[in-house]
Amino acid sequence: MSHANAHGSTVKERADIALNDEFLRKAVKFTTERLRNGKKAASAEHGNWDEWRERGRQIRLHTIAHLDYYLNTFIENARANGVHIHFADTAAEAVEISLTIAKHVGARSVVKSKSMVSEELHLNAALEGIGVESIETDLGEYIIQLANETPSHIIIPAIHKNRYQIAELLSKDAGETLEPETKILAGFVRKKLREKFLEADIGMTGCNFAIAESGSMVLFENEGNARMVTTVPKTQITLMGMERIIPTWDDLEVMATLLPRSATGQRLTVYMSGITGPRRTDDGDGPEEMHIIIVDNGRSLQLGDPEFQELLNCIRCGACLNACPVYRHIGGHAYGGTYSGPIGAVLTPALQKNVAEWDDIANASSLCGACYEACPVKIPLHDMLVYLRRRKVQAGGGDPLEKAGMKGFQVIMTNASRFRGVLKLAKLGQPLVARDGYIKAKIGPLAGWNSYRHLPALPSDSFRDRWTTLYGELQAEAGTKSEEARRRMEAALAKRKQEGGRGHD
Amino acid sequence: MTNDVLKRLEARSIAKQSEFIGNIASRLGRVGKTDSKPKHPFKGAPAFWNEFDLPLEERVSLFSDNWGKAGGHVVRHGSMEEAKAWIAAKANELGAKLVLRQNQPELNALAIEAELPEARVVVWDEAPKSDRLAVAAGADIGLIVVDHAVAYTGSLVAKSSARKGRSVSLLPTALFAIVPLDRLKTRLGEVLRPLDATPREQLPAGVHFISGPSRSADIENDLTIGVHGPGVVYAILVG
Repeated sequence: MSHANAHGSTVKERADIALNDEFLRKAVKFTTERLRNGKKAASAEHGNWDEWRERGRQIRLHTIAHLDYYLNTFIENARANGVHIHFADTAAEAVEISLTIAKHVGARSVVKSKSMVSEELHLNAALEGIGVESIETDLGEYIIQLANETPSHIIIPAIHKNRYQIAELLSKDAGETLEPETKILAGFVRKKLREKFLEADIGMTGCNFAIAESGSMVLFENEGNARMVTTVPKTQITLMGMERIIPTWDDLEVMATLLPRSATGQRLTVYMSGITGPRRTDDGDGPEEMHIIIVDNGRSLQLGDPEFQELLNCIRCGACLNACPVYRHIGGHAYGGTYSGPIGAVLTPALQKNVAEWDDIANASSLCGACYEACPVKIPLHDMLVYLRRRKVQAGGGDPLEKAGMKGFQVIMTNASRFRGVLKLAKLGQPLVARDGYIKAKIGPLAGWNSYRHLPALPSDSFRDRWTTLYGELQAEAGTKSEEARRRMEAALAKRKQEGGRGHD
Repeated sequence: MTNDVLKRLEARSIAKQSEFIGNIASRLGRVGKTDSKPKHPFKGAPAFWNEFDLPLEERVSLFSDNWGKAGGHVVRHGSMEEAKAWIAAKANELGAKLVLRQNQPELNALAIEAELPEARVVVWDEAPKSDRLAVAAGADIGLIVVDHAVAYTGSLVAKSSARKGRSVSLLPTALFAIVPLDRLKTRLGEVLRPLDATPREQLPAGVHFISGPSRSADIENDLTIGVHGPGVVYAILVG
């Protein structure tokens, strides 16, 4: 997060930087378009998409409404499976527990598969701090780790890098020049990470879903690195957001139908792995010791909040990013948090107790509702963005100038003669600034508007001025017009009766 | 093993649990102890979906279509004998030097070893425990019989046990998976629902759904096959 933020402190500044980077803009547009079209095709092909969405929403709503029961059930079952369960209220606590485990197993290296929770914690730096090497093993994550950056898309983390930049990074890593060809670059990473998997003491994962009734965790992925991480090292640590629960395996069919189709348009990711406890006594592989750290880190703040509780229904598919016209222009780093796009714009401030610090990202949205349309569990993100803005204003975080402007607007608009007076004054004043029918000067309250477009000048003869004349003309015409219209409609009706049989009967 | 650390963490976890869950309960408006088992009216897939069931030949063609689209290969044989001849020929063609297989009755009966004089064939649980990962990582082919397959998603299902390593379907360069056709289902739910009915202590540590070769589109959206898992995957349908 720090890296992206270093370039600008507000969404607008970061977006300006993003908009200057032509490659980024094109790459984001291309990728999001590809994913969005894939999703559209996959959901259409599956059929009854809205019924599945509704089912997904119901399962998530139900689970969150009874999260105390389901989480407790999960914990009891996972413990019975031999898993060590830990609780972390904050990111710092999750880091501290992870480091304690790493020290306890005498770890020298950790291999990680993609986990958004881990991005919340900034765990890599903490592990390096105690001398433990920490390696991201998802191809995209490995690339951005080498670049010392953060993911800019929830599904395609290195969306903002081209293959020449990637070849440069990997060549440095390899100590030899690698051609900027996907096959060669991916081949190098496969070989390099094979060794890392085999040497690693700890495998660290996130958790897509946790099944309450069996105490199992489920991972979705395409590369096989999450399977490696949960198969090869002796110790497994899983970071799990406390809301990842679903009640049963049966419910997993719904999530497995919604998640891959919404994320990438696949019928199912290449690998879906359900892991129930550490290896059994006689098993030849799998972790001997398994830890699950259940992380709150601001999530429980949403519980019982009627406007934001549904945020916890999110299954992290990224469909809202791909659908969002703002995300497609500015890319993920402009949002400045772990989560970007519409979900990030709501989740980031919601997870922080200090909303004020983050609230400007709530403005990075056009409120068009495309995110809601795309969401496989129907989270009303566009409404939440409005709630967030309202809370900001109510908390006194509004712009005082805007507030004064609105007051002034109210004073003028609620009184017709006052409005007339102001228009007259403006007409007298505007020859000073208007040219060719537009006002282009970036002065006073017009500065923001005129930075991107021009304000049309007031016409010499306004609608209000012409109204008396217009009204008279309308009255005069009305008589003849309505007579004509009546005759036309009667003729049409008679004709339809003759033809017969084409009505809606 | 520093068991003291684990004990300390365990004690801390037990102590913390009621506070953690209590916070959730109270935010949800339940004071005191947590909720009792709630009714779950919207469990699993919508009702109309559960009636979706294809006849065998349609399952075969849907599975084959999906597996092929994902970048996998499908062959079909009438009997295990035929399948054996095909596997041997393919392994020879690929120049396999090391084949790792699960210890499954179907594979034991197949006796593929005799057909592959050029290759070393290792049975998962017959190798010393400490060598198994290295053998798997060095293997050209991993040979398994699937527990189930799912036509609608084009998936194979492999469950782990003492005789069936998770690594066998993951670390070798190529995966050869035998799919007896009576194990080919229409929907994912037909494999998932029975897991709910299995007593917790009898669940395998790993249940793996595999729907094609390992892949990534992380570099400029350019699809790469075989990133970490096997890039060459054969589904060998038998029946």
